[in-house]
Amino acid sequence: MEPLTLPASFDSLSPLRQYVVDAARDAGLSKEATYKLKLIIDEIATNIISYGYGESGLLGDITIDGEVIDNKLRITLQDTGAEFDLSKRELPDEDELSKPLEERDVGGLGIFLTMRDVDIFEYKRIGNRNYNIFEMYIK
Amino acid sequence: MLIDIKSEGDIGVAVISGEIDSKTAPKAQETLMPVIEKFNKFVMDMTQVTFLSSAGLRMLLLIYRQATAKDGRVVLVGLSDEINDTMTMTGFLKFFVVADYLQNGIEALA
Repeated sequence: MEPLTLPASFDSLSPLRQYVVDAARDAGLSKEATYKLKLIIDEIATNIISYGYGESGLLGDITIDGEVIDNKLRITLQDTGAEFDLSKRELPDEDELSKPLEERDVGGLGIFLTMRDVDIFEYKRIGNRNYNIFEMYIK
Repeated sequence: MLIDIKSEGDIGVAVISGEIDSKTAPKAQETLMPVIEKFNKFVMDMTQVTFLSSAGLRMLLLIYRQATAKDGRVVLVGLSDEINDTMTMTGFLKFFVVADYLQNGIEALA
């Protein structure tokens, strides 16, 4: 699909999810995998908007691109916010996830869900640009 | 996202529809918190909620804490398979009473 560039704002989350749905439909991705990919892109775009740009005081865009490679749908998010490799982020473990909600720290849940659901993840930093690459198998 | 608030006797009911993400979750929280203040028994009908991110989980967490702090109870109605999965994997589901239909949800609190 044609890449789509949107401002790094929460208003862009809904069109980013719609892009995923359209790309997934074109690729013939299952309903279950489509929802997972939609959740992944929402979570990571939120992260980019909140931390990559927001907390770093940077402004910019997010570009989403979808392509089918062999038997996989690849969605790439590009941004020029702060460097952040989410695969290096410490995730909540079983102990944390089984705590009563009164004691829970909800940080990291979005990345936890992403890492659980994605088939293949890759992060690249080239120049001032972050590339978060997510692939789902088309079954 | 839209929220419709009503009451069934002493039970507060919020019918939510649409997508709960980082954009809409704070708005949902703002709308729902006063309802929890008012009603000790609270039903969230999520039959028409098609998407829930971790921002939505955070909102549910705050609602749960607010309710339990005043010995209130919250029932979630009509969770989709996908939202059920998200809540199960993150350990949220077991803290909520869930029901398939609004009427069951109201009965669970009666």
